Amino acid sequence: MLAYVVRRVLQFIPVFLGVTLLLFVLRAPGVLPGDPVRLITGERAISPELYQQVVEKHHLDRPLYVQYGYYLQGLLQGDLGTSFQRDMPVRDIFAAKFPNTVRLALAAIVIEIIIGIGAGMVSALKRYSFLDVFVTLSTSILVSVPVFWLGMVMQVLFGIKFKEWGLPFMPISGMSSAQFPDWAHIILPAITLASVSTAYTARIMRSQLLEVMGQDYIRTARAKGLSSNAVVWRHAFKNALIPVVTFIGIDLGAMMGGAILTETIFNWPGVGYEIFLAIGQRDWPIVMGGVIIIVFAVMIINLIVDISYAFLDPRIRYGGEVR
Amino acid sequence: MRAPAVTTPVAPTSRTLWGDAWRRLRRNKLAMAGLVWIVFMVILALSADLWVPQHFGDPERIDTENLLELQLQSPSAVHPFGTDRLGRDILSRIVYGARISLTVGVLATSISIVLGLFFGALSGYYGKILDTLIMRLADVFFAFPYILFAIALLAVLGRGYQNVFIAIGILGWPSIARVFRSSILSVKESEYVDAARVLGAGDSRIMVRHIMPNAIAPIIVYATMSIGSAILAEAALSFLGMGVTPPTPSWGLMLSEARGFLFSAPWLMIYPGAAILTTVLAFVLMGDGLRDALDVKLKEEG
Amino acid sequence: MSGRSRTALVLLLVLGLVVLVAGAGGCARDVDTFVFYINEPYVIDPVNAQEEMGINVVNAVFDGLLDFDPKTSELIPAVAESWEPNADATVWTFNLREGAKFHNGRDVTAEDFKYAWERILNVPESGSEIAYHLDPILGAVEMQSGEAAEAEGIRVVDDLTLEVTLAYPFADFEYVVAHPSLAPVPREEVEADPDAYAMMPVGNGPFMMSEPWAPGQYIRVERFDDYWGEPALLDAVEFKIFSDEETAYLEFRAGNVDFTTIPSGQIQSAIDEYGESSDGWEAAPGSQVLLGGELSTLYVVMNNEDEHLSNADLRRAISLAIDRETIAQTVYEGTRTPATNIVPEGIIGWEDGAWEYSRYDVPEAERLLAEAGYPGGEGLPTLQLAYNTGDGHEPLMQLIQQNLRDIGIETEFDPMEFAQLLDVYYEGAHQLGRLGWVVDYPIMDNFLYPLFLSTSADNLAFYDDPEVDEALVAARQIAEEDERVRAYQEIARTIGDDAPVVPVVMYRHRHVVSERVRGFVYSPMILANLHEVWLADDEE
Repeated sequence: MLAYVVRRVLQFIPVFLGVTLLLFVLRAPGVLPGDPVRLITGERAISPELYQQVVEKHHLDRPLYVQYGYYLQGLLQGDLGTSFQRDMPVRDIFAAKFPNTVRLALAAIVIEIIIGIGAGMVSALKRYSFLDVFVTLSTSILVSVPVFWLGMVMQVLFGIKFKEWGLPFMPISGMSSAQFPDWAHIILPAITLASVSTAYTARIMRSQLLEVMGQDYIRTARAKGLSSNAVVWRHAFKNALIPVVTFIGIDLGAMMGGAILTETIFNWPGVGYEIFLAIGQRDWPIVMGGVIIIVFAVMIINLIVDISYAFLDPRIRYGGEVR
Repeated sequence: MRAPAVTTPVAPTSRTLWGDAWRRLRRNKLAMAGLVWIVFMVILALSADLWVPQHFGDPERIDTENLLELQLQSPSAVHPFGTDRLGRDILSRIVYGARISLTVGVLATSISIVLGLFFGALSGYYGKILDTLIMRLADVFFAFPYILFAIALLAVLGRGYQNVFIAIGILGWPSIARVFRSSILSVKESEYVDAARVLGAGDSRIMVRHIMPNAIAPIIVYATMSIGSAILAEAALSFLGMGVTPPTPSWGLMLSEARGFLFSAPWLMIYPGAAILTTVLAFVLMGDGLRDALDVKLKEEG
Repeated sequence: MSGRSRTALVLLLVLGLVVLVAGAGGCARDVDTFVFYINEPYVIDPVNAQEEMGINVVNAVFDGLLDFDPKTSELIPAVAESWEPNADATVWTFNLREGAKFHNGRDVTAEDFKYAWERILNVPESGSEIAYHLDPILGAVEMQSGEAAEAEGIRVVDDLTLEVTLAYPFADFEYVVAHPSLAPVPREEVEADPDAYAMMPVGNGPFMMSEPWAPGQYIRVERFDDYWGEPALLDAVEFKIFSDEETAYLEFRAGNVDFTTIPSGQIQSAIDEYGESSDGWEAAPGSQVLLGGELSTLYVVMNNEDEHLSNADLRRAISLAIDRETIAQTVYEGTRTPATNIVPEGIIGWEDGAWEYSRYDVPEAERLLAEAGYPGGEGLPTLQLAYNTGDGHEPLMQLIQQNLRDIGIETEFDPMEFAQLLDVYYEGAHQLGRLGWVVDYPIMDNFLYPLFLSTSADNLAFYDDPEVDEALVAARQIAEEDERVRAYQEIARTIGDDAPVVPVVMYRHRHVVSERVRGFVYSPMILANLHEVWLADDEE
């Protein structure tokens, strides 16, 4: 087991280097138009002295590979550099934003787990029932909805219309406000972020459960006289869960950086939106630092997911064989 | 934005397989509904020049003289879906927007497939270092947050709808490459490929005659789903201001223009949103139907 | 442990973690807080505060020598009780009032101004980008380049007297020192922990920071009871950070925000619902929508060195083709005013129609286009029309494109991010492009000197007229105000005749204030008078 974990961690390294290298290629002169130094003062020109100072501070006058060397050196010491734009350490910027992203992602995952797995099970166990058709159709619709549109519709409905109609309404943006307890702010963004994934989770759960229940050993178990409930719980559910856990794990990773649209609509100060803005502003330290943090988080999550297989499926043991 | 990845094939191909598949597909009401809608949208998009500008107005031209009366009209007989803030007919823009969406969807998917087949073939057929290299590159692509990657690519390429489908297409290759690679691996060592090789068949002949037919079903399913994902991706990118440039009508761009009018002019948001939803839904239903009909095992992932 | 309970345990653990993370957070506040919408500021330390958002925070937390009247933009005393220039406006003496205190309790002295200004001028150390404000001061330029350790023009006569010597006569200098960023800064607080100071500056204004800036979320300030003037009426102000005005406006409608921007497109419905302020700057219940003029101009910059655009008649034709009234009425729903001059209304000396070609006249535009050698646009290639994405300029640009197409000039959009756009402009790689100029000080000089002096870095039209250069430098030295204004008017007309840029519209407010707010004024300088505001529930 330990050997497996070590090997997996070692496998991180090339992917990690690949990602940082790719980002560095993007910032090579001429690849991405736009001079980050110019941006610092907005619509007003800056003096040559100031220009030179910024260039030197960020080693922008050195060859790219030297800059890459500097960057890796800093990275090893836990230093992600300083933002071009805001003169703040990148680490501090993300220390403030990363917890927000994690919080939103976890809230979305809870919805995904409860509703997704629940709907998938109901759908599979009551195959061809009204509920099954309902779940199938509504998940198809959910995967086809643009999330930003869903978010906008919910803001109008639950934030404004409900208030006009005298119904309990919800905060529609930000993370805190005087009128609402903090936890209320997460509801709409979490639902929006979870929508597509919940639909996928339900679909996977349904198809896996149906497949597992069709397999020989389940039929055998039933034939041996085990009650239907026991079969579902002890055998089918657990085996069906493996791909679902994989999906949820990957999805949690995807939410680390992929929540830009939700963050934009709901004004949620998260990592994805920060990186999106930074790309526009050519603020490379923020882009690099943010992506590295996300990639790192994704890798850790994937590792945890893989290890959790061992819990779910005793047949999987991590020995010498590389999967 | 999420591309379902397809794993492992697949029954050997034959004429009867396709016939059976079509019969099964025809019985699937949802898939047929999807197909009908797709055909409908394609006809709309292709025939637009013949009737849309004549009845509803040009999708791009602004009538500056009469703009004050024309702008933000609510739906009426003259403008069934209303007008936008520059006085242009929403229906006209949605019909022309279908061209953009469908073009982006199809072309992006084509690019993904070409790149995916190429890299998948290299990886699966020649193996060794090349395989490791390509699969690690795929890992890098997967590790990157999808939409951020697309934004960064567009920042490099510049905006405009050609670049949008190029970017979306480039980002889609790893999924296809993995599917194709596993198809190859599963048949490469099989006896009939060995036999073909003994008989002197070259690499490309083996690829075309023996491997492609096995991989084609999952790729068709993938492609159908992927067109829907690409349409969503285009909408999201245009919504964020990174995609199609105005005045070109794009559904995502129309939604981003609608953001300021959620209350005062809700039709700006409703119709383009509904257009995206129904079109993507049609591809999803169609893809589901194809998957069942072709008996492809599908592993959906983010 | 059985497999099933293990599964349950995993799920339970995840759930518990989620509840823990999601549930963490503060509780509601019950003081009288004014909630003020801003975008994420760039900097809130006066050393580098420069955009609307940061400046409004600085304006609440700091007090400079002088202040602008919220409605007329005239100068009023602040920390300086009185001030006067010498005869040729090269030496300025400011007399500070007694009893002005920093939030840490210490008295504000002339030394604190010198420290604050030199902190800005010490560019090699501070990296400040706003040192240009202080350029006229003797020794300021040397200090910025690192040649001098202090600015010899800033002299502390005694605790309450500051004497400023300029490098050249500059009769409008008093307007410069009223800029909110030129406020005094307590050295001991900065030196104790510079990083902490940047996030939670200690100032001398009517409000003090109550906790450090929470990036992406809020900046909270509370009343400073030892303020030299009337203490603020509000208990606290929360500058709530939103990334876009649509969301902020939704929150306003949900009753969670007291002051916000109305997204364009909803102005009319906002007026119907909340009523329009009579003067456009001051809000009262039932007249809560503010549409007063702002001192800034939106224009299309033309590259005067371009092969085609160097032709003045072509530039004039382009300027005449733009239907400013329709743009103002439709895209901006009347919240912009057609610009007939690069200088906006509200600046002393502004003249309506001073720029001859800054009007809508299609026949004349067509005639000049022909005169320029491009009858009906023939012979003219498709011109690039640049703008920056993400700020909602698309409708404006599409209208301009249509206007130009109507006289036969084809344009192609070249949208890009702001970073890239500036790069293109500074390098002169543009043909036509959108720009805006926001006032620093309410004087004509501020719209002419930086934008049209041939050596100015902000002259992105690359306009070059030696006579105009000479006149701009000379006008700064005219001590008598009326005479000075007349000189600037003359210069403005001369530049306008060449049509180096296309003024399109002048900005106006498009803000709305909640019903419970009293006494609120949002000035043409884009500053809020927060220390004079109160909330209706206070009276109960």
